[in-house]
Amino acid sequence: MLRFGLRSKFILLSCFLFLLPWLGYEYVWEMEKFLRQGQEKTLVGTTRALATALHERPALFDQQTSFLDQVVKGRDLYAYNLKNPIQLDGKLTDWESYQALFWQYDKRYLQKTDNKHQASDLSFEHMVGKFDNYLYALFKVTDNQLVYRPKNSLSITNNDHLKIGLKTPDGQFNRYIIAPRQDGWVNAFNADSKAPFTKIQGYFSSTAAGYNIELRFPISMLGNKLGFAIVDVDNKESLFEPKVMSTSNLNNPSDLGSVLVPSPEINRILKGMGHSGSRIWVVDKHHRVLAQSGSIHHADGVWADGLANQAPETWWQQFEQNYLHPLYYKILTRPENEFLDTLHDVAAMQGSHLAKALKGQPASSWRLTPDSKAVILSAAYPIWIQEKVIGAVIAEETTNGVRTLRNKSLEKLFNVILAVMLIGTVTLFFFASRISSRIRRLRDTAEQAIDAQGRVTGSINYSDANDEIGDLSRSFANIVSRLGGYTNYLENMSSRLSHELRTPVAVVRSSLENLQMQPQSELSQKYLDRASEGVERLGKIITTMSEATRLEQSIQSNEPEPFDLQKVINGCMQGYQLTYPKQLFTLDICQTALPMQGAPEFIAQLLDKLINNAIEFSHAEKPINVSLKQNDSVAVLTVGNYGPLLPAGLTEHIFDSMVSVRSQQMQQQPHLGLGLYIVRLVCDYHNASVTAKNNQQDNGVVFTVSLPLVK
Amino acid sequence: MKKIAIIEDEPAIRENYTEMLSAQGYQVTGYANRSSAEAAFKNVLPDLAIVDIGLGNEIDGGFLLCQTLRSLSKTLPIIFLTARDSEIDTVCGLRMGADDYLTKDISLAHLAARIGALFRRMEALKQPADENALITRGPLTLDTQRMQVFWQQLLVDLTVTEFWMLHSLAQRPGHVKSRNELMSDAKIYVDDSTITSHVKRIRKKFIALDSNFDCIDTVYGMGYRWEQI
Repeated sequence: MLRFGLRSKFILLSCFLFLLPWLGYEYVWEMEKFLRQGQEKTLVGTTRALATALHERPALFDQQTSFLDQVVKGRDLYAYNLKNPIQLDGKLTDWESYQALFWQYDKRYLQKTDNKHQASDLSFEHMVGKFDNYLYALFKVTDNQLVYRPKNSLSITNNDHLKIGLKTPDGQFNRYIIAPRQDGWVNAFNADSKAPFTKIQGYFSSTAAGYNIELRFPISMLGNKLGFAIVDVDNKESLFEPKVMSTSNLNNPSDLGSVLVPSPEINRILKGMGHSGSRIWVVDKHHRVLAQSGSIHHADGVWADGLANQAPETWWQQFEQNYLHPLYYKILTRPENEFLDTLHDVAAMQGSHLAKALKGQPASSWRLTPDSKAVILSAAYPIWIQEKVIGAVIAEETTNGVRTLRNKSLEKLFNVILAVMLIGTVTLFFFASRISSRIRRLRDTAEQAIDAQGRVTGSINYSDANDEIGDLSRSFANIVSRLGGYTNYLENMSSRLSHELRTPVAVVRSSLENLQMQPQSELSQKYLDRASEGVERLGKIITTMSEATRLEQSIQSNEPEPFDLQKVINGCMQGYQLTYPKQLFTLDICQTALPMQGAPEFIAQLLDKLINNAIEFSHAEKPINVSLKQNDSVAVLTVGNYGPLLPAGLTEHIFDSMVSVRSQQMQQQPHLGLGLYIVRLVCDYHNASVTAKNNQQDNGVVFTVSLPLVK
Repeated sequence: MKKIAIIEDEPAIRENYTEMLSAQGYQVTGYANRSSAEAAFKNVLPDLAIVDIGLGNEIDGGFLLCQTLRSLSKTLPIIFLTARDSEIDTVCGLRMGADDYLTKDISLAHLAARIGALFRRMEALKQPADENALITRGPLTLDTQRMQVFWQQLLVDLTVTEFWMLHSLAQRPGHVKSRNELMSDAKIYVDDSTITSHVKRIRKKFIALDSNFDCIDTVYGMGYRWEQI
């Protein structure tokens, strides 16, 4: 059966200590929630501060686009802020980092619907960007048949060309055409006057799939409307109408798509906010980014300030960093500064917070980066102009600051918990060990206090401890001492009885003797003799009764002496053969010296009692077997006889005081069951053991005494 | 007429002994307790005192009385006759200067013999030693008349019981005397271990005089014998 000791129970209970880290974690988690809310509020505050700077400043926002009801991707263009200058060389290397921003124009953008149109016939990728004071545009055109402008041709439209339509800041609608004769530098022509227009410069280069056009013009000539059209002429004879794929309809100024150029004014204002530790955007009401500042990778709010990892100085910090932190960060996640940011260089912002802000409500939202490495908090605040929301300020921060803060506090918490658990477990363990060892000690002493025969062998050393175990040990000691007293009383019964009986016996005896001195009639003499005989027997009983007591007393006062066991047993056996001439003995006694320490007279007495016992129970004519052998450091003496078997269940007790198992016929002589008790007393004195067993043939009894020898 | 005092709290025993000893021709007075005995002894001392240890309420009244008697007379024979047979009591009684320690198992005849022996010894001590009564076994000399034992001319202070036991052994050196024989020779009836402790006590008394004494030999399972040097 599985048995749980006190110690293991304590250990089990102390497992509840492991709830501590969970509680601590929950607590810190709550704290983090509050911190996040705080961060959210702060961030909303940041956006509000910026929005406040932008309220009611219509000059900062382009009226017309701002008040458009909707912007269409592809039609309404957005000039991205280019970070690097663009070299007009027809190669796309300068644009590589903006690859993702290219907008794909396909047959949906054809002026005339043509279901048979193939992407290889005509399609293009396009983007506009702003660098310095120039607007840059790129076209990566796929065209299976490139038709240059013929030399000396006055017409600039009977070939593949690029049409540009724009409105100037003062509202004038201008259209320009770029129709290259060959790869290389190109300038635009005014579409109406066909006069060259050098403010628009570009570079044309053919590619395997079609051609690339890079061009630029000063931003100052651009109002808020801009459109491009690629006109694909596949045949010089113009049997077919040229295919026109455009960003917006260039023929009608009102259909022209809008263009949004990030506002330098707002940018300047934003720069002032750039030190707030957040990434900030200003978007118009069409979600288009007007300005942006800061990088999300450095925007972790102001929470982590001063918590930056310092080099460990003390041994404790080193230990913490080398051993504890790796352990902790198996559970915790360290906020990472490297994560994917989908909003990097976007033109249009999306999100519930923005949608809400554009409806006039400040809002915030949380989102996970696609690689799940960081959580980004965004807050949006509407910008008002004349009771209308014109745009919104968006601020973004990662929660890394809060998480760093949380991690730091968790580290500290874990340290404390680890210490508490360690100390607690160790304390509990020692406590449990102490208690269980005390109980075990108590159990051992309690078991040792009473031997297999139920005799009290000693007293219990009780402890002075003022607790339950101490009480228990004291009450054990009490019980054992009372029990010992009682056992003692029982064992002394015979001596007490003999003492008490002696006086009345003496009265009877002396009276009888006195009586005998008087002349008696024959009849009274007969009775007198009988009475004397009875008293004689009584006297014998009393003597036998006191024998065990006397032996105990002499054992107590006896000084052990060295002697040869073999000599004693041999001598005794010779004596018995003389004393009991009718009894047959078979002897098997080793002839080597068996040195022992003790009292030879007692050993002789022991053998006396065993032989007496054997003779009494032996069948007539059957021998008594006596053997003495050396077995390592123990001498084994056996006395066996053939006769009645031992009664079951009494085997252990036949060596007790006043236990006799004689049948009624054998009771002619007084027997008090003290013979084997004396055997046991002698054995105890010599640290020997005695057992009585039925022999193997089950026709007699063997007594075996194992006496330790002196080495 | 010899005067014997019996100090015994049990009236039946006291009277039986008194009657028996009176019949033997002694002048016997019985006392039931220590105080009455001591009061009587102040006037006149008896020739022999038979004392029980437990006297009425006094568990060790006999011992106290023995001390008082010894302070009054160095030579007065004292016999303890008691129901107590423990080793400690025996040793105690003999240490206090009693001449013998008997248990109440003893028969009246034996008691009378012992009393007679004690008186004989008292008488004999007054007279010059009779050469005929001496038994000599090497360094051991037994004066059977005075019941005295000398080892290398030094007196060994044995009780009457012990004397008779030693006498029994020394009479026929080399012969084994069983415990029963020793018992009957010493005119006592006790158990085996009492004999053993008697023999031990005798040995001790000799060894006190001569640490090399080794003349009483134990023959295991049979008894003891006097080993002649």
